[in-house]
Amino acid sequence: MRLPVVIHTIGAFLRFFSIAFVVPMLVAEYYGERRDALVFLGTGIGSAVVGYLMTRTRRSRTEDLKRVEGLAIVATSWILLSWSAAVPYLFAGMGPIDAMFESMSGLTTTGATVMRDFGDYGRGLFLWRSLTQWFGGMGVIALFVAVLPRLGIGGRQLFFAEAPGPTDEKLTPHIRQTAKLLWSVYAGLTAAQFVALTAAGMPVFDSACHSLTTLAAGGFSPHPLSIAGYDQPLVQWIIIFFMFAAGANFALHYRTLRGELRAFPKDEEFRAYLGIIALSTLLLVIFLRPEVPGLLDRLRHGLFQTLTILTTTGYASTDFQLWNDQARMVLFALMFIGGCAGSAAGGPKIVRQVLIARYTLIELRRTLHPRGVLPVKLGGRVVPDEVMRGVLVFFLFYLLVFAVCTMIVSALGLDLITAITASIACLGNIGPGLNAVGPMANFADLHPVSKIVLTAAMWIGRLEVLTVLALLRPEVWRLATFTQPRE
Amino acid sequence: MRIIIVGGGEIGFELSRELSRDHSLTVVDTDAEVRQRFDALDVEFLGGSGTSADVLQRADVAGADLLIACTGLDEVNMVSCAIAKRLGAARTICFVSRDDFLGREGSVDSVREHFGIERIIWPEAQLAEEIERIVAAPGAIDAEVFAGGRIRLLEFRLEAGSPLTTAPLSALHLPRGALIVAVKRRDTIEIPRGDTRLSPGDKIFVMGTPDAVGEVVPRIWGDEHRPATQLVTIIGGGDVGFRLAQRLDAASGVELRVIERDQRRGEMLAATLRRALVLNGDGTDLELLEAEEIGRSDVLVSVIDNDERNLFASLLGRQLGVRRIITRVSRPANMRLFERVGIDVALSARGAAVGSIVHQIQGGRAHLLALLEEGQATIVEIAVPPAFRPRALMEMKAPPQSIVGAILRGTDVIIPRGPDQIRPQDRLIVFAAANSVGPVRDYFGTA
Repeated sequence: MRLPVVIHTIGAFLRFFSIAFVVPMLVAEYYGERRDALVFLGTGIGSAVVGYLMTRTRRSRTEDLKRVEGLAIVATSWILLSWSAAVPYLFAGMGPIDAMFESMSGLTTTGATVMRDFGDYGRGLFLWRSLTQWFGGMGVIALFVAVLPRLGIGGRQLFFAEAPGPTDEKLTPHIRQTAKLLWSVYAGLTAAQFVALTAAGMPVFDSACHSLTTLAAGGFSPHPLSIAGYDQPLVQWIIIFFMFAAGANFALHYRTLRGELRAFPKDEEFRAYLGIIALSTLLLVIFLRPEVPGLLDRLRHGLFQTLTILTTTGYASTDFQLWNDQARMVLFALMFIGGCAGSAAGGPKIVRQVLIARYTLIELRRTLHPRGVLPVKLGGRVVPDEVMRGVLVFFLFYLLVFAVCTMIVSALGLDLITAITASIACLGNIGPGLNAVGPMANFADLHPVSKIVLTAAMWIGRLEVLTVLALLRPEVWRLATFTQPRE
Repeated sequence: MRIIIVGGGEIGFELSRELSRDHSLTVVDTDAEVRQRFDALDVEFLGGSGTSADVLQRADVAGADLLIACTGLDEVNMVSCAIAKRLGAARTICFVSRDDFLGREGSVDSVREHFGIERIIWPEAQLAEEIERIVAAPGAIDAEVFAGGRIRLLEFRLEAGSPLTTAPLSALHLPRGALIVAVKRRDTIEIPRGDTRLSPGDKIFVMGTPDAVGEVVPRIWGDEHRPATQLVTIIGGGDVGFRLAQRLDAASGVELRVIERDQRRGEMLAATLRRALVLNGDGTDLELLEAEEIGRSDVLVSVIDNDERNLFASLLGRQLGVRRIITRVSRPANMRLFERVGIDVALSARGAAVGSIVHQIQGGRAHLLALLEEGQATIVEIAVPPAFRPRALMEMKAPPQSIVGAILRGTDVIIPRGPDQIRPQDRLIVFAAANSVGPVRDYFGTA
């Protein structure tokens, strides 16, 4: 691994990322929060300077980026960007650990917060919180690949290191073009939601924040009661629709918009997505009879909470911490599924769960027919063995990280349900869990070490585990060098 | 007729043997070694490529009435036809074994037009289709469909206790729309009459609309109950096996197993087939057949590309208790042997293809639909000429050993009885013993 290449590329990302601070700066200025505006300005300039210094490292052609360099660039830039994004929280009065937690929770679209009193913070900061989720939703690296022309062929590796799903849906042969298309669909849907929410009567500022965090499957809300704070069923239905869109594969959105109307119905993962939503909503409608009297209300809350957990958004249309155990069990189960591959959602992803289910059934069948040729298929195509192995290994590591995280957090003084759901909510980038980290609570009272562990869990979960864990292998660092081999 | 045959393999040789007596043949093949096989026949042999314009011109392609391209390579066959057409050959027939050149939405017709081919013959696909028809008719040992599926012809072997053997035909009251057109007793085919009495061991040919034929089937088997889904086992996933498996895989009421020896071919089959269970193993491996309970199959189809192994697999199947066994025969000479040792249906892809070409060349204008029982009987479609005077079937002095099985009038299908009329412009599906085809044509003046 050539460290100069890594540092240079990350520096370029940081330099570009600094432009983003302009938006909250203007918003803060507009609302008369002069001090906050200056903080955003300073942070932006600071990031740009640091990024510029990093790009001063001698740079070789990035075209021949090695695999390990790609992984290192992606994994490290997520950390560095989260530090940069954390600076405004520091100036707003948070401690460094809290600021890092909030910032990583934003970029990874988790939506878990350490804010106790929402009144302490300015509007600029709330917009910044939502904006970081919006950048993280479609993937910051994907954004860089789309707009930074100099990444060249190496962009392909970076793109797939950030979103290493089992299926690589390519819309165009050029990864830059693909990244651009995905980002424009994403931006278009965000704009559509903003218009819809404003038309439904939500204040403009709130509409903007929610649109940014819905499409990102993020879940930050400027309202302390989340979506439950807007007691308008219409608003909730609009958000239901856009959460549903955020959890579906964006490549399929693009193909549908291009007139290929059968793109969604033909996709097996999408059909499974629909099935899971339908089943979960049905169960909630049944289980919630004591809590919610009206059938239509039950349907709305059932659907809303199903989608918010499944797509890993993490809003609350009501305080589901108060629901009965059966209903909360349904939500808990959803936490381990995630949205579709190629969507803004986190979690293990539906396609992986479909593949694992098929693999299991086929192994059962193999015991009956030892000589049978029994391939795992998806969409009529055979899934190659190495892909299947990758999926199984991913899930194994995912559960391992989840278990380790739960044990640490629990050992530091949380009850078991809180520890379990806090871990999966952070690893799966969902946001709220149950009990002490329920939708109306926050993560502020956790042990500082727990916060650090959960921050790491968000990072590992967002990059789908293996990208990060592979970098822990000692040979990666043994072979790291500052000098460049002559070309 | 002047005929050029491109390709001196099995098919080329069979064709030459059938046609060399009445026509002047030129055989073109790159492999000069096959020449000696043709020395015994009265044909001209030309060493060279069938895709070379020069070679084709030496074979006087411009003066040829027909070019048949039947090498083992689809590409060569198609290009050869295209060149021959350009050089002035009157008609071309092309043998193919794959269909990937058609593309997903491509039609055979557009390919034919593009390459200047009059007729595409596809022996493996035709064999697969034929086997599928037999499998799809539970209990039947052979089956054909005509008029786009509106008419079916099924062949059954009667067993002791069949209700059809209890009374003469006229007293059986078969459903309207179904007709027993022929009976094969020992080795002779006869057209039954009202007083004919069927007996166990007879093979009968039932023609009619699918519904009516479906009503007849349970009466053939008596009280015996047929399962709703058939368990079908295919041994050999080659061209024919794969094609058949694809068709049966999509059919309802069939549970399919395919046994394929080659691991990678097996993987390809499993990747393509949606429901079928693909087993990796040898169809002659008794242990495998027993472990997978192949004996409980309703139909066993053995389509390995090797007569000996096919025969062995089929006999194992019979020993394990499979009721119906359909086997592919490559060498026509083996056909009779197979049926003698108890295989219900032995089919030959090349034999059928050669037979249909020979018939096309020698049969005149009446359209041959099928050859049955190794050519002992034929099904022909006859267009009744406009000048024909309408008359009832029973008034006609039709040639012996023939029977009108169906009348197609516009979109109607009539399975005729004595009083039904035959009118000009009707199209008739006629079942005739081999030596009666000529007289039938003469009678309707269509020869």
